Amino acid sequence: MHTILWACRRGAAMAAMPARGAANGGVLPLLPRYLLKALRILPMLFLWEVLLQEGAHVDMTLNQARSYTVLGTALSGILTIMTPASGWNYEGKLLNLFLRPMGVLRQLTCQTLGGWLPEFPGFSLPVIGIAALLGVPLLPASGWFFPSLLLCVSLGFAVDYLFVCLAIRMQGASYQVQSIRAALAAILSGSVIPFAAMPELLGNALAYQPFGSLAAAPLAIFTGLAPDPAWTVFIQMLWNAVLWPLALFCFSHSQERMVSYGG
Amino acid sequence: MAGKLLRSLRRCGRLMALYAKMDLAWLCRDTKFALTCIFTELVSYLAGLSGIFLLAARFDGVGELSAGEVLFMLAYAAMVAGVFQLFFSANNVGHISRRIGRGQLDHMLIQPLPLHTQLMTEGFLPFTGSSALLTGTVLLCVAASRLGLPVSLGWLTRLLGSLAVTTGMCLGYSYLASSLAFWFPVQAEEIATDALELLDGFATYPLTGMPLALQTLMLTAVPAGLMAWFPAMNLLGRAPLGWPQTYPVLFTIFLGLLAGFCFRKGMMYYVRKGIHRYIRGGFRM
Repeated sequence: MHTILWACRRGAAMAAMPARGAANGGVLPLLPRYLLKALRILPMLFLWEVLLQEGAHVDMTLNQARSYTVLGTALSGILTIMTPASGWNYEGKLLNLFLRPMGVLRQLTCQTLGGWLPEFPGFSLPVIGIAALLGVPLLPASGWFFPSLLLCVSLGFAVDYLFVCLAIRMQGASYQVQSIRAALAAILSGSVIPFAAMPELLGNALAYQPFGSLAAAPLAIFTGLAPDPAWTVFIQMLWNAVLWPLALFCFSHSQERMVSYGG
Repeated sequence: MAGKLLRSLRRCGRLMALYAKMDLAWLCRDTKFALTCIFTELVSYLAGLSGIFLLAARFDGVGELSAGEVLFMLAYAAMVAGVFQLFFSANNVGHISRRIGRGQLDHMLIQPLPLHTQLMTEGFLPFTGSSALLTGTVLLCVAASRLGLPVSLGWLTRLLGSLAVTTGMCLGYSYLASSLAFWFPVQAEEIATDALELLDGFATYPLTGMPLALQTLMLTAVPAGLMAWFPAMNLLGRAPLGWPQTYPVLFTIFLGLLAGFCFRKGMMYYVRKGIHRYIRGGFRM
């Protein structure tokens, strides 16, 4: 019990570091970025209106599409996890993590979640609040949303660590790995466009690949677009069970190959 | 006057040939790495465009635009990104706030070349920076054939002119935002990236059928609608909102003048104050 408490305290201290770092200049410097992020919702919301008010034959209502977009933007920081590891590997900062008495992946996990903490009250809650006031329905259609969100975050870390291993293997190509990962995640994870709005065969196929268990799964359950939420959660558990051991194995074998230039 | 201009153009040509040679040398020195970069760019652009295109395919178009017209617009957006990447991506020429904010403008001022000549030539990447332009060109050909566009020499000239105007608009927007870095070097070091990401993020949305207020916003303060939607509609012979076809040109001239004014003001401030970001060990603060 004492060990668990001690580990939690260490994790919280580690998470507090980037949280303080992000917010130590006050809220004002963070506002422009949050405003830009919020602004990105507008064309997507109107696009749904243009598409769905034409009487298109699709299993999705306008309200479901709006909820999907709002929640997808509000929780974007945790729906598609991106740890700073690839960039830190390039800059040489990753080596510092090896000098601390805590697992490297555990530190990265705590620091990533800590970095998101100021965003939750500063961006996510206001966006959800304003959208709710404007009439966007923001109550989950099923209680399976909460375990699904947890599994999505967990899988997000596993996927990210696999990409970190790829960045380590490709040495100087950290930026390229990051950008290809961001591009693939944007389209394959369903973080922007629900699979239900994609061409039917493609949408069904994408739901079963690992990226499909990231943003698309909790958002589809939240909005009621997932026909069987329990099955969706099962698929997420399956990918977690496959990708976490793979990520740990790859990372332990990649550490020896790590090359950092720094500066 | 004409002789001076000719000499200047010849010098630009020579410098661009030099940068092309260096780009080719980099490609040959580490072909695996260079091909990885090209492939990554290609996948990134295709993934960025595919979202809206998949929607258009599923819904058989967006608003009054057919799926083919949406593809044409997306292809145009990719070509704009490609031209920008081809001419302005190397040495942070398109993201000039990085060089200003880091105090690296000094390196340019001590060269025996005028600043504008360096800026016009240093960003040239003909081999490793052409993937987006090639992707866009292929997509545009597919869209044009699907739409049965009557492609003539006059239309191609309009396309090239339109691409030049849109790229100039992007550059003007980036330089306008980057001028802030003269006064706030640390805070505004990445402002060009933010400004261009703002334009890119909205560029692929077909604005047809959206509220007039949003369309106006996207054609003025955040001119993302001028990145692809307006010029693509222009090229399809349907200038949106009843605005004149010359609007993008007029806007680019206005933006260019404004960016030039602010940049010069910033330079005057920079000449007096300087930017000192590097400590003795060579690290940046």
